[in-house]
Amino acid sequence: MTASVDARPDPVVLRAASLYRFFRAGDEETLALQGVSLAVAPGEILAVAGPSGSGKSTLLACLAGIDEPDGGTVTVAGRRLSHRLEAERARLRASLVGLLFQSANLLAHLTVARNIQLVRRLVRGPVATPVDDLLDQLGIGRRGGAYPAELSGGELARAGLAVALANDPVVLLADEPTGELDLATERAVLELLRARARAGLAVVIASHSPAVAAAADRTVSLTDGRLDP
Amino acid sequence: MIRLWLLGSLRRRAGRLVAAALGVAIAVALLASLGAFLTHSKATMTSRAVHGVSVDWQVQVQPGAGTGEVERLLQDTPTVAASVPVGFATSTGLSADTQGSTQTTGPGVVLGLGAGYQRTFPGELRLLAGMLDGPVLAQQAAANLHAGPGDVVTIGRAGLPPVQARIAGVVELPLADSLFQVVGAPPTAQRAAPPDNVLLLSQDEWQQDFAPLAAARPDLVTTQFHVATARALPADPAAAYTAATRASNNVLARAAGAAIVGDNLAATLDAARQDAAYAQVLFLFLGLPGAILAALLTAVIVAAGGDRRRLEQGLLRARGATARQLTRLAATEAGVVATLGAVLGLAAAALVGVAAFGTVRFGTTTGAALAWGAAAAGAGLLVALLTILVPAGRDARVVTVAASRRRLAAPRYPLWARYGLDAVLLLVAGLVFSATSRNGYQLVVAPEGVPTLSVSYWAFAGPALLWLGAGLLAWRVSDLVLGPGRRVVAAALRPFTGRLYATIASGMARQRRPLARAVVLLALALSFAVSTAVFNATYRQQAEVDAQLTNGADVTATPVPGTTPPAGLADRLAAIDGVRAVEPIQHRFAYIGPDLQDLYGVRPGTITRATALRDAYFRGGTAADLIHRIATEPDAILVSAETVKDYQLSPGDPLTLRLLEGGSGRQVPVRFRYVGVVTEFPTAPKDSFFVANADYVAQRTGNGAAGAFLIDTGGHHTTAVAHTAASLLGSAATVTDIATVRGSVGSSLTSVDLAGLTRVELAFALVLAAAAGGLVFGLGLSERRRTVALATALGARPRHLRAMILSEAAAVSIGGLVAGVATGASLSLMLAKVLTGVFDPPPSALAVPWAYLLGALAAAVVTLFGVAVVASHLARRPALTLLREL
Amino acid sequence: MKPDVSITSAGGPSTDPTSTAAPSMDAGPAKAGLVDTTLAETSPKRTVPQQAVLVDCHELACTFGAGPSAVVAVHGVSVQIRPRDQIAVTGPSGSGKSTLLHLLGGLVPPTAGTISWPGLGGHPLGSPGRVGTIFQAPSLIPSLDVVENVMLPLLLANTDPAKATRRAHAALRAVDIGFLAARVPDELSGGQAQRVAVARALACRPRLILADEPTGHLDHATATALLTALLAACEQTGAALLISTHDRAIAGRLSRQWVMRDGGLVTASAAADPAGQVTR
Repeated sequence: MTASVDARPDPVVLRAASLYRFFRAGDEETLALQGVSLAVAPGEILAVAGPSGSGKSTLLACLAGIDEPDGGTVTVAGRRLSHRLEAERARLRASLVGLLFQSANLLAHLTVARNIQLVRRLVRGPVATPVDDLLDQLGIGRRGGAYPAELSGGELARAGLAVALANDPVVLLADEPTGELDLATERAVLELLRARARAGLAVVIASHSPAVAAAADRTVSLTDGRLDP
Repeated sequence: MIRLWLLGSLRRRAGRLVAAALGVAIAVALLASLGAFLTHSKATMTSRAVHGVSVDWQVQVQPGAGTGEVERLLQDTPTVAASVPVGFATSTGLSADTQGSTQTTGPGVVLGLGAGYQRTFPGELRLLAGMLDGPVLAQQAAANLHAGPGDVVTIGRAGLPPVQARIAGVVELPLADSLFQVVGAPPTAQRAAPPDNVLLLSQDEWQQDFAPLAAARPDLVTTQFHVATARALPADPAAAYTAATRASNNVLARAAGAAIVGDNLAATLDAARQDAAYAQVLFLFLGLPGAILAALLTAVIVAAGGDRRRLEQGLLRARGATARQLTRLAATEAGVVATLGAVLGLAAAALVGVAAFGTVRFGTTTGAALAWGAAAAGAGLLVALLTILVPAGRDARVVTVAASRRRLAAPRYPLWARYGLDAVLLLVAGLVFSATSRNGYQLVVAPEGVPTLSVSYWAFAGPALLWLGAGLLAWRVSDLVLGPGRRVVAAALRPFTGRLYATIASGMARQRRPLARAVVLLALALSFAVSTAVFNATYRQQAEVDAQLTNGADVTATPVPGTTPPAGLADRLAAIDGVRAVEPIQHRFAYIGPDLQDLYGVRPGTITRATALRDAYFRGGTAADLIHRIATEPDAILVSAETVKDYQLSPGDPLTLRLLEGGSGRQVPVRFRYVGVVTEFPTAPKDSFFVANADYVAQRTGNGAAGAFLIDTGGHHTTAVAHTAASLLGSAATVTDIATVRGSVGSSLTSVDLAGLTRVELAFALVLAAAAGGLVFGLGLSERRRTVALATALGARPRHLRAMILSEAAAVSIGGLVAGVATGASLSLMLAKVLTGVFDPPPSALAVPWAYLLGALAAAVVTLFGVAVVASHLARRPALTLLREL
Repeated sequence: MKPDVSITSAGGPSTDPTSTAAPSMDAGPAKAGLVDTTLAETSPKRTVPQQAVLVDCHELACTFGAGPSAVVAVHGVSVQIRPRDQIAVTGPSGSGKSTLLHLLGGLVPPTAGTISWPGLGGHPLGSPGRVGTIFQAPSLIPSLDVVENVMLPLLLANTDPAKATRRAHAALRAVDIGFLAARVPDELSGGQAQRVAVARALACRPRLILADEPTGHLDHATATALLTALLAACEQTGAALLISTHDRAIAGRLSRQWVMRDGGLVTASAAADPAGQVTR
């Protein structure tokens, strides 16, 4: 995809403007992000590629408001997410952002349905989709009562996605979501994401998987904290 | 959200919650049972203190006020159970003509006892000779006048002709100090000693003799009302003191200057109140370390789930939970753990109460037991909050989501270690100890006259700091040995672990923080067990010594004073079933200068068969040395330290005493030689007395009559033997057994029966020692199940796994044992020194309960190695799930 | 249950082109490098009889649990592995790849069928050092540094500590991470940790290396480099290599392909000659 985001008729739902992030370990200072800017429209899937340690995870943490960039701003659905109190960021994240990790997306001591309910309790305001419908959409309609340890690999991936989508987010941020999946499951997860994107969800996936890059509308590549031109 | 979380936790990982709750439960149970015991002890102190008081109040009629007015006032006071008037008159002197000579004393006091005095206050007078019905001389006065029953004493009256009285008996006044107090004066203004020359008359006689004096010289005559109160007092000594003081103040206020009150009850309760404060410190000292240990155990259990918790917190934060929500979640979890722990702990305390005291209330009131239960539960909540909420809160603030998904970097050297807090604590402990030891370990300061105690709480800071400092030092030393000293560890492991020695040593070096933690907990638990056991054993030993000192032997039979017991009585006593030995002791009175003192004639060869003589009783030689000297030098005599000082005696000085013969008053001069100092002796009073060779005394006075028989029963059947002995000696004789005495001797603190407390504490110490090593070590191993599974996958044989796990177990055991025993030993020594004042006499050596100590050490080591063996056994076949996670 | 297909490694090659992944673009030059390395090594350090069968199994099966909840992880597998075999095991998650590797390494006993290790001198756990294992997840012992981790299997095989240290350092240098020797696992990146695991597997000079998804957590470049190092080392020592993976690019660089589905071996193919030798 080469089309400029600004040329799209839809408004931008996620925007990052010149993000900087430093880490200091002893005397060493690492620049994890060096002026990263990007914009994602509703319905768009953006893949962020790059080798290990290129800053993908830091970028996602800043986009989610988990980490605070040292410079630059993050805006989600028109609301500034960066440079706010931690509690305010958490509240915005709870209602606007979904996060999908490579593993351990669920709390081990709760069933899949309760994991989803727990996330929903964190959101102020109602969530449209009933839990069963959400699970049905993801193809694990009958596994709501199961504990994570009782799920197969494919089911676990879908359940993780269900929890990430539990709050009906406008943006889904995924960090290597298919790293541990076999090809068939990876394909299924990507298809589910595509379906969600068609319904208006903006998706950012950090991954080095070629399948992810192929499924994305657009791929940007991160090297040493900078977006490759 | 919180409800969902908790229900899931309870359903899926109840084990972890229960484990943490068990740690809390130990703390709760320990505090609840010790607290209830403390309350029970305090109630005992109150009742013992009150028991020792005969006259509760001495209400003195003020000059110008009417006696009848005060009497009516007292009759109208509801707390007054009985009041008896007592007249006090100062005599210019007493004189008596006996055996053809006239003895005259200096100024004396003549008391007029109202009707029923002896019946109302049986503790005030003890009849030594004659009878009470009529004029009675106090023991010292009788000695001064060489007078006895039947003799006539002339009483001098200032400005009036003397009057005469025919003596009916001789009495001892055991409570002379309070009897002759200056009513209303502060302790410092009290007279140094009660008057020497005391004559007691009936109230009628006294009125007849001294009403004229009262009219002429009102300053020489006063009237008191001796009052017995209803004694409806609270159980706690402090509250009882307040109540007693209020009651007497009420009388004082209503008397409006007509009378002043000498409140003996409040004065005694004041001392008991101080003792109670002391017991409270003891409680803190013995109970707090246990509670702290339990809290540390809980912290370790909770910390074992730390990685999982950080991961989950990170996940929840990623999903939009705020730090406050996470804190609330942790607080709720802590609340659940605390509630569970409190329930389990209080149930355990109730069980302990049943086991140790036969009642869940520990012999105390329901209210006090409930209060202590609530306080202990509160402490449990505090422990849960500190161990669960604080780390969770810290993580919620510090750990970012990204970091929570990474292993935390190696922890830095802790702040306290960099600033040498352990050394500082030990140094301060030493300073405090030497400072308190410089005032002669006067933890309890008892000024002359009024029996008031004050407690130096500061002295307990020494042992407390030692305990903490030693714990930190154990951590530092473990850290140093396992870390920089890994070559030494490797060399030590080499004979047992084959080629793996260096690998195991460096593995332990990088795992040294959890290992050091296990060492510290084990060391603290063991030192707690050691010092508690040694202190309790010493305490019991000294209480026994005290009881034996007071009673003389297991059973002591005292024939009527002044009479000669029938021949062959000793043999008949020895024939009683259960008696092992009977030892007669002579009891005489002897004059040294104008002073009358008790003299005990002992048979040096056999005295130790019936009673124990301890080195602490003597000065100038051991007990054996000095008794040997009495045996080899028949004229040798042991003298009290005060007499040595008063008469400037040096060892070897000749000493001529005039020995008094019973009621006859005949004085026989006997020459002795001073060889040593005796401070305590079985059956002897607390003040000055002599100890000499019985045969020598008998030969010089021509009288070998025994004053008392010490009966050894080996500590068994004392009550039965006493009963039989009493029937042999007749009803006038006194027979006491140690079991009865044990319950009533000494200060109220040492007389508190520690047996229950001891059982409770020793059981807790044992549980803690076993849990500390096993639990902490086991948790450390379970965190490393992956490592063990990996080693198996890489080709480790069972012996390799055993080598790895048992090496760690050995390191923890050795470190914990060495540090624990060293700390426990020094703590015991310090504690015994600090508490020297409690013991009367002070212990000559610590009592070490070897069986218990070895049991505790064995329990700790066996638990630890049990965990290790089970772990290495389980590791043989790595759990499939672990393997699949690889 | 009967397996759909049972194919021994010595059996005829399946030449169905659809089941053989096309070599990825970067695999070409790497293979060239591999050949160079092999040529540079004039003689293998250990002489292995070329046709000695390392692992021989017949109708191998492994079932977890019992009764109705039992899970058949592997069934009806009859294969042989010979020296210098380079085999990729592919298949979806849960198809039994890991269990098969654990069976072949002797870590799990089979519940049915037979397995023997004639070329390894008996059960691998009884003769440590003959089989090197590389796991998917980080498998270094966190309390040991890199050298100690690499030494551990040598010491467990009763090697003299001094000699074990030398060979551990040599193994680290062989995969170009000699400079990591003094670090602890927490200080390593994922790729570095897997390289250490490779060095650990190589240090014993095993005759068979079993690698379970060794590149699963790595990005593509790191994974490629790791595989190159592993293949080079196997070339040098003449060890057989068995890798389970779902990365086609990785699988494509190995000479033989086994595909698993539902616990059974469904197809096997070779980009090599029937004897299992690498094509020059």
